[in-house]
Amino acid sequence: MNQFRALAALSFVVATLGAGAAAIAQDAPTDLSIGNFLDVTSWDPSLADIGFDGPYLSAVYDPLVALDVTGKPIPVLATAWSYSDDFLTLTMDLRAGVTFSDGVAFDAQAAAANLNYLKAGARSGEAYLNVTGITVVDADTIEIALGERDDTMLYLMGLGRSYMASPAAIAAGTLVTAPVGSGPYLLDEGMSVAGSEYHFTKVAEHWDSATYPFQNITIFPIIDQAARHNAMLSGQINVNFADPLNLEQAKQMGWNITSGVSAWVGLQFVDHMGASLAPLGDVRVRQALNYAFDGAAILNSLGAGAGQVTNQVFPAGQKGNDPALNALYAFNLHKARALLAEAGYADGFDVSMPMSPIFALWQPVVDQTFRELGIRVIWDDMQMMDYQVNAPNYPMFVALVAMDNDPVATLARQVATQQWYNPAPQFAEVPELKALIEDALAAVGDEQVAKIAAANQKLTELAWWSVWYQADNTYYSIPEIAVTPVIGMMFPTLRSIQKTQ
Amino acid sequence: MIGFIVKRLVAGIVLLLAVSIGTFFLAHAAISDPTAGLLGTTATPAQRAALSAKIGLDRPLMVQFWDWFGSAMAGDLGISWRNFQSVNKQIAIKLPVTLSVVAFATLITAIVGTIFGLIAGLRPDSLFDRIIKTVSVVLFALPGFWVSLVLVVWFAIQLKWFPAVGYVPPAQSLGGWLRSITLPAFSLALGAIVVVAEQLRNEVIAVNRQDYVRTLRSRGLSRGRVTLHILRNASPAALTVLAVMFVGLLSGAIVVEAIFSLPGIGQLTNASSQNGDIPILLGITVVSVVFVIIVNFLLDIALGWINPKVRVR
Repeated sequence: MNQFRALAALSFVVATLGAGAAAIAQDAPTDLSIGNFLDVTSWDPSLADIGFDGPYLSAVYDPLVALDVTGKPIPVLATAWSYSDDFLTLTMDLRAGVTFSDGVAFDAQAAAANLNYLKAGARSGEAYLNVTGITVVDADTIEIALGERDDTMLYLMGLGRSYMASPAAIAAGTLVTAPVGSGPYLLDEGMSVAGSEYHFTKVAEHWDSATYPFQNITIFPIIDQAARHNAMLSGQINVNFADPLNLEQAKQMGWNITSGVSAWVGLQFVDHMGASLAPLGDVRVRQALNYAFDGAAILNSLGAGAGQVTNQVFPAGQKGNDPALNALYAFNLHKARALLAEAGYADGFDVSMPMSPIFALWQPVVDQTFRELGIRVIWDDMQMMDYQVNAPNYPMFVALVAMDNDPVATLARQVATQQWYNPAPQFAEVPELKALIEDALAAVGDEQVAKIAAANQKLTELAWWSVWYQADNTYYSIPEIAVTPVIGMMFPTLRSIQKTQ
Repeated sequence: MIGFIVKRLVAGIVLLLAVSIGTFFLAHAAISDPTAGLLGTTATPAQRAALSAKIGLDRPLMVQFWDWFGSAMAGDLGISWRNFQSVNKQIAIKLPVTLSVVAFATLITAIVGTIFGLIAGLRPDSLFDRIIKTVSVVLFALPGFWVSLVLVVWFAIQLKWFPAVGYVPPAQSLGGWLRSITLPAFSLALGAIVVVAEQLRNEVIAVNRQDYVRTLRSRGLSRGRVTLHILRNASPAALTVLAVMFVGLLSGAIVVEAIFSLPGIGQLTNASSQNGDIPILLGITVVSVVFVIIVNFLLDIALGWINPKVRVR
């Protein structure tokens, strides 16, 4: 990551010297060219990721449900839906007259086949954990039966877990490399070069053509941010997943700059009960580790200031996050030391923690802060893949965890359900917390949001994490194109990329 | 000459076996659980176990090795654990991208390095020689990625002569292909030109001082023919450096592919190592080693042809 930053800085200097400060005048674009961070994970919706796969998948597939900018599910191929009174049956009305690119019609049978396929998928299955059955009611209605109430399912479906593919392609097992959907664009395999650039042409008769104003789309997966920035400067792309280090030049170029919080950065406490590391079982130690990190300074020095300083895992400015709580652990090393002493750890303690290259950026901060507290850390170096497998075996680890723009999903994913970063949800072992969370998950509407906020307050007071700040995702686009960030998506889907005029 | 060739071939095969075996066990030791990368963090233990069984990870490592090794020796490098497509096919798609850039860079290096080295060597300490020396020092000191970025800024962003990123297959557009590999190839070649030119310059100076060159001149041979004699006798060292450079450029291409976002072997290596796609990594290693062996083999043949004394080694 340091190399990338060095490259970015060098690129900025060179490009500033070379390109000058004048804004490049652009004609109203008919085509969209996106500089994405990663190559498509898979064209198969059951194996695709939510993160950077958004533009690719949303070009060729229509989902049942999408999300608006507030995280609210909105109709796409499902035109309406309703839950039964016990929240155990979701009935969906489906759009008629939609055809997949291979000529197969989209109907309730196709939707059911897709949902069964997505439920079995290694990546998509997370949205359908509580689904026990899918019933075709009639040609344009399905019922989804749930084993237990699941308020996150619609949100996850909208996030990118309900893309509908042709049942014929599912049966043929060819989706991994050849997408067959009903989406607004068709992948031009002849013009595309796998791993380098993907070309899409607009479907002439798409039922929602107005939502997709661009005639042709090209997506360039460019891992190196300096290369992405250069591609933007050269005019090869007109939308870029950006690095805040280039912010000044982006302003000089007159580009649109949009950003939104995407992930929280800090320490994930796995062992809240002190089973493997006794000190962590003491709330005063966890609070000390909140007081000890200067989130604002870390954000400014390591995150180029692109983010929000908050001590919560609920996105800043969104439901569930309480700005008043941000003052709770204002940076105070003296207080941190005092709390550690009070808990009986005046001389600190020993801890082993995992480390991988992607987190190396924050390693010196942890080293320095722990040294101030007398905490002796031994780092176990590993690759990112191994980090995700092994980090949860440690009592705590440095984390960058993606956030959701849905308070129920946040409470579920960050606290209540098993995730790679939260292998054994421990909230139930704190009676007061258990009551608050179960109460919140059982409520509905505004009452539920209020109860989630109350649970968040307790979680913050119990120092369930040591959150330093929430990091932004930033997007640059030419003045004629506007990008609307969506929390929960590392790169927004195509419906969030529009012409400004 | 035949014995010389057979010796080189046997040495190459031993090297290929050693690297293949070593890489297999190193890759499996370094990537403890490939299913994590292949399926992501949302996969259930049952899904990961199913994938393990499907790709044969649940078998003893030695069994996996012999299975892979047997197929690889027969020319089949297996299937990707990520998309279940043939490794041979995927490498066949990516390799031309890397080879395009590296071969073009080698061609540029050979031509420009020879011209500069020859002129500088024939007139040591002349103005041209001093300019070449100075430029060499500067180019050698500059990091490759910095030079790449400068090239992009001027020729892609300012002048818009070449694309900043991306690759166009020659089947799609020959001109587009040449434009897409020009900046990456020059980025790779600049450092190599310096080394080849410097090596050739020194050899030309040394050869130029030989008695037989003086004799050739005294017998009235034209300047051009004398220069050809000098070049032929000075070229083995430069050729050796060029071959070494070619191998070096293959690995240097990984950085260049990142900077110019080219879908070559470097990109495939990077993605596969992040995904835990060991068959692809093994396939790339085998193919890379084969290339190194072929290049060295051709170099030995060329050196043997130029200088018969080499053959008896």
